[in-house]
Amino acid sequence: MTLSRRELLFRGTPLLVGFAVSRRLPAQSATQELTGPMASAQDVYRPVKLEPKPGAGASMTPLERDDLEHRIKCQCGCVLDVFTCRTTDFSCSVSPAMHGDVLALVAGGYGAAEILTAFQTAYGERVLMAPVKSGFNLLGYTMPFMALGAGAIAVAAVLRRMKSRAPTRVATVPRVSATNDELARLDEAVRRDA
Amino acid sequence: MILVGELSLWVALLMAAWGSTVSFAGGQMRRADLIESGERAIYATLAMVVLASIGLWTALLTHDFSIKYVASFTSSNLPIVYTIAAFWGGQSGSLLFWALILAIFSAITLWSNRTRNRELMPYVSGTLALILVFFLATICLGSNPFERLDWIPPDGRGLNPQLQNPGMAIHPPNLYFGYISTSIPFAFAIAALLTRRLDAEWLAAVRRWALFSWFFLTVGITLGMWWAYVELGWGGYWAWDPVENASLLPWLVNTAFLHSIMVQEKRGMLRKWNVTLVVSAFLLSIFGTFITRSGVISSVHSFAQSKVGWWFAGFLLVCIGLTTYLVTTRLRDLRAQAELESMVSREAAFLYNNLVLIGIAFSVLWGTIFPILSEAVRGEKITVGPPFFNTVNVPLGLLLLLLTGIGPLIAWRRASVANLKRQFAAPVVAAVVIGVVLFTLGVRNLAALLSYTFGALVLTTIVQEFSKGVGARHRMYGESRLVALPRLVARNRRRYGGYIVHFGVVIIFAAFAGMAFKREYDLTLKAGDAKTVADPWGHSWTFVSQGISRYNVLNREVTAIALDLRRDGKSAGVMTSEKRQHVDSRGAPTFEPSTEVGIKGSFRQDVYVVLAGVRNADDAEIRVSFNPLVRWVWVGGALMALGGLVVMWPAADRKRVQSGYVTVLKPQHLPPAQREPDLVGA
Repeated sequence: MTLSRRELLFRGTPLLVGFAVSRRLPAQSATQELTGPMASAQDVYRPVKLEPKPGAGASMTPLERDDLEHRIKCQCGCVLDVFTCRTTDFSCSVSPAMHGDVLALVAGGYGAAEILTAFQTAYGERVLMAPVKSGFNLLGYTMPFMALGAGAIAVAAVLRRMKSRAPTRVATVPRVSATNDELARLDEAVRRDA
Repeated sequence: MILVGELSLWVALLMAAWGSTVSFAGGQMRRADLIESGERAIYATLAMVVLASIGLWTALLTHDFSIKYVASFTSSNLPIVYTIAAFWGGQSGSLLFWALILAIFSAITLWSNRTRNRELMPYVSGTLALILVFFLATICLGSNPFERLDWIPPDGRGLNPQLQNPGMAIHPPNLYFGYISTSIPFAFAIAALLTRRLDAEWLAAVRRWALFSWFFLTVGITLGMWWAYVELGWGGYWAWDPVENASLLPWLVNTAFLHSIMVQEKRGMLRKWNVTLVVSAFLLSIFGTFITRSGVISSVHSFAQSKVGWWFAGFLLVCIGLTTYLVTTRLRDLRAQAELESMVSREAAFLYNNLVLIGIAFSVLWGTIFPILSEAVRGEKITVGPPFFNTVNVPLGLLLLLLTGIGPLIAWRRASVANLKRQFAAPVVAAVVIGVVLFTLGVRNLAALLSYTFGALVLTTIVQEFSKGVGARHRMYGESRLVALPRLVARNRRRYGGYIVHFGVVIIFAAFAGMAFKREYDLTLKAGDAKTVADPWGHSWTFVSQGISRYNVLNREVTAIALDLRRDGKSAGVMTSEKRQHVDSRGAPTFEPSTEVGIKGSFRQDVYVVLAGVRNADDAEIRVSFNPLVRWVWVGGALMALGGLVVMWPAADRKRVQSGYVTVLKPQHLPPAQREPDLVGA
């Protein structure tokens, strides 16, 4: 059966219109906005407290501490690290609390690795800005390089196969022997006549 | 007008569905009337979507708060420019904007191909109409911008203050142009696969669109970085946020395609690869939209979680399935027409460059989805933030930079040792000198050191290429070098525009490397307090608080700090930073407080001040960052865009020489020493 376009239009349109009209519009979410800091401290903050090491002083300089805070994720719902969140968004009450814990741990003589482990114990691995390099996470770190390596091997294999099939001498482009002056005159002649 | 707009959406959906159906049917049955009807349906869809868009803009500008979208994203006191920009500020409006641009691009494609590519066009228009059907169905059935509220609020909620920035008014449209224009090459690829006309014809039709997409993604990404830097206040311009990554993915794939297309044009190779890249760029655009709109991965930029994201997931899966089927069933038609002759050749270099670009794209994609994968496998949520992406992507980026310098120097087909020596001598010497000098000056950050070293290599490559070209014109036509330079670029815009893009890439890498030397300080200042800190260049900067001021402006309450600056004891001006609490027309707070960053910029570094907040009435908490070379990121981005424009600029019609034309030179006898013997590959 052959339908003309007009017939198709007349037969198809009522079906589509009927579907469209019968369809009730679904409710949208009440707010459509940027996500951002929204959690209150009591919801998400978990104290990270350890007894100070006996006779210990501060384990790192303020700059080193700031670097460490760049490796700990604020838990307020933003996507920033503790240092950036607490120095950018004063409405966040979570990052200052986490900063307080870092300060206490640094004063208690704990090193960067120990502090990160303590935070990880309290919050889980999500508190770290990058996954620890062990177990399944190693796949995360190595996969891009493995994929690149596999790609390189595949490309090398393809190139080798192509090369073996290609002619050994290039004969399609004739060698041109000409001086610059000759080339200039040739170009000029072409331009003049074109 | 608003009602007309709403109804137009439904008519547009019907038109697009009709267009898709009859275009495919017309192509299959070879019926010109159906093909023509399909094309007209797309023009009609465009008209209907324009009407719908006018309807939404009318609702926004007349503050019709009975419409949920208007009430959610505007308020009576929102400046008019942001009221207009609110069109793409929210989920459903941005989907309508997407449909509008797609309809415009589709119409342009049909119009510009009305006498060309006629075998392909039914399938091109069918595919474009099908994509339009998806977007219009999503809007009509899943996220309708004309949805009405049961009651009329006295005022709207207003636009998020972070979006009230000139950069934000133009950044999203640029990205949308970039994303949406990947649809055109995709449609041509589908048409070529369906018709098995997989020669260079379809490539010629899509190259300009791929470049167009690349250009707008470049501009959009650069503007996005600038917006994040000046507006979000976290002190950087790129955070490897999933939505940022989503924009980078199609850009990387487009970049790879714009290189590999040259290999197919010149040698008839990489045909499967090019089809795959074109399809991937489109699929990654849809993937990015899925990420932004599904809420599946937390992001600072994303729209609220919505079922619409899953529509995109479904559409993505269908597209992947369809294109995989088409490509795998046409592998025989996609066989290369020529074979590679040497692994040290321009075409091989493009292949290596493609490998690295796609490697980076894969690592970005992998890092973006790894949290989901990890949670699925281990049941544990993890965060994949900048430390991960930097660990993985910095080495790949450096490799890419190195290849940017190497590729253009290698001859097509086969490079001889003599050719390599001649081409690489100056760039390698320049790179080694820069590396040694920087190391001697105390630069120990390996990534930064390599970045500047490789950058020097690329830069010398570019200068060498321009210098050779200008020198040749100078010798051949007797032009002055100043005249020869623009003419050289005009005569071969693809090549020299590409070098301008490479120059921009070097500048951007240099700027990125500069951030390795960033310094940050966390200061608390009372009025009159002074604190002195050091910048990465060894200068001391003293910040003297002039106190806190509080005042109301238009639609916000402002808390500001003024800082007197001294550099090495000498006055260096005044900086201010603000916290803003936006309010509605009744004075009620809307949204979280936002930051207005103070930036004192130079080409050497930015002094970046953020007022984090105020404690105890006048204890100002501020963060001071010294961000080296940031301004060069914007310069690099602008250069890349300029290079893209040079490449895209339409060619003036040149009078073609008839075939069979012969030019005869009068013989001239010259001594052998003056003869230039080897011009192969020149």
